[in-house]
Amino acid sequence: MTADVRLLAAVAALWAVLSILYATVPMLAHMPGSAMLWGAGAVVFAVIAFIVRAAERRGRL
Amino acid sequence: MTGEWTRRLDLLPARDKALLLTLAGAALAALLLGLGFGMLTGLARGGFLPGLDDETGYRLMTLHGVDAFFYWLSFAQVFLLLALVAGHGGGESAVAGRPAAWTGAGLMIAGFVSSQAGVLLGPPLLYDAPPELAMDPTPAVAAVHGGYLLLAAGLFLLAGAAVATALRTKRAGGGEWPSVVFAAVAWAGLLMVSAIAAVNAFAPAFLWAAGLGAMPADHSTAWHLLFHNMHYLPLMATVLVWYALVRELTGVESIFGAAFSKTVFAAYLLFVPPTSLYHMFLEPDLPDAVRTAGSLLSLFIGVPTILVFLMLTASLEAHARTQGARGLFGWIARLPWRHPAMAAVGVAVVNLALGGAFSFVLIQEKLAPLLSDTFMIPGYFHFLTIGTVTLTFLAGIVVALPALRGREIGRARWLVRLPWMATAGLLVFGAAGIAAGYMGAPRRTLSVAYDGLAPAAWPALMTWVGGGATVMGLAMIAYVAIVAASLFGSRRSEDAAPAVPAWNTVTPDWTMARAWTGPLSVFVLIAAMFGFTALAFDLMAGIPAAVAGGGAH
Repeated sequence: MTADVRLLAAVAALWAVLSILYATVPMLAHMPGSAMLWGAGAVVFAVIAFIVRAAERRGRL
Repeated sequence: MTGEWTRRLDLLPARDKALLLTLAGAALAALLLGLGFGMLTGLARGGFLPGLDDETGYRLMTLHGVDAFFYWLSFAQVFLLLALVAGHGGGESAVAGRPAAWTGAGLMIAGFVSSQAGVLLGPPLLYDAPPELAMDPTPAVAAVHGGYLLLAAGLFLLAGAAVATALRTKRAGGGEWPSVVFAAVAWAGLLMVSAIAAVNAFAPAFLWAAGLGAMPADHSTAWHLLFHNMHYLPLMATVLVWYALVRELTGVESIFGAAFSKTVFAAYLLFVPPTSLYHMFLEPDLPDAVRTAGSLLSLFIGVPTILVFLMLTASLEAHARTQGARGLFGWIARLPWRHPAMAAVGVAVVNLALGGAFSFVLIQEKLAPLLSDTFMIPGYFHFLTIGTVTLTFLAGIVVALPALRGREIGRARWLVRLPWMATAGLLVFGAAGIAAGYMGAPRRTLSVAYDGLAPAAWPALMTWVGGGATVMGLAMIAYVAIVAASLFGSRRSEDAAPAVPAWNTVTPDWTMARAWTGPLSVFVLIAAMFGFTALAFDLMAGIPAAVAGGGAH
């Protein structure tokens, strides 16, 4: 796995954790929509990391 | 110009060049309109347009924000994103996902026209277009919100095309991307998330305005989420353009290596969500723990930008010293200042230092509620929006356009001077605006005289704001007009940008070279932050009543 994939996956993971925090920690409830947005962002970066990984594998074949 | 980026842009197929030129043309058109409306708004605020009715004044302010903040920055970003990815990847020099990219460009242009028409024909809602300000749903209001939705859809598609273009390199042979391509993909991802945030903010408003739904109760919160992304995005784009231009103009690569560069660019994305807490500082019942966490996290907002700055200055200084540069600033004199892009980037760095120092004043938990609705906000953020981001994007366009158009950009000597002239106007605008803001002058009120009841300093400072805005606006309009003339004109200019010799024609042993300017600059920045914060407290302590903010920024 290249650094490209590792870094993109790290972004997805951090955004997912933050999304969960925004959804579950009551004192962060002052910004409704944050959990949805950062969660959607986590999905975007996870998808990008996945297709980059798939392209790398294809490139090595 | 003989760099790898422009060489690959020159090799693009005609259809891809046409796509990029369409995006560049739309960007310059949006910027020209945004600058013109901004200059008129500044004149109105300075009291130079006495016959202007309030509604027209607010319409000018709205058009300025819509055209400059939303459409210029968006068109310029997708142009630069595609140009950087197509020009730095390996394999075939071409844009992937061409139908999606053209569809995206069409949607963005349709959005531009729709928002423009909505603002001209409907009530002036300012650029965040809150439904509660419109009060009644009308087709014109729906056109503003619908325009933003088209913009979001276009951004998403074009960002997707950029990612698809980058994937070609991976499929061609696997391996690591160049730093610029990795950063561009990260930037594309953030553009996609911002497009989702725009839909989250404006879809309910559009449904309401079209008579298909209830008025959204939380537009303001959704706007803040979008806004946090929208003001982070251009900064990330700015430092990436610097990174690419340094290589293109000087031939110098980062001495820290590609892995470190990628980590720094990824850090932008790691810091975006947690730093958004400071937008809640204006909530009166915000728990102290969140307030403290938000204050601490907000300090990290500038870390990636400062790291890229250090990376670039240290790389340039180390290379210059190995080739004979002497003295603390001797290396700076060796930079290719006669090239318009270098001049624009140099000015942008100075303006970023000023805007950055004041932004750290604003996001402090004790000061944010006092300053957020004052003229301090437009006073400082124009150092970032015009002085830093816009000049950097224009520098990128100035370098990329000749390769796409097949002819040099003319009047290069003027393009070197005009950023400094714009900055002179910006300094007057910013200094007067920030001082007025520290004294409580409101941000979005056209006339601050209040029939003579306001402090005498307010209208006096606004006169300077109007004067500064005029100088800044005229200089920037002249700059854009010269670039646009090169895009659409047919004559070859005699005053083209000079060819830039590469610095690192030999591989220098930079490991023993000193590079102190970057770290020293950071110390100066921190000292400026302390100074401007102390000044803020001094000025605000001297006025009879501080203006408490109401959730504007």
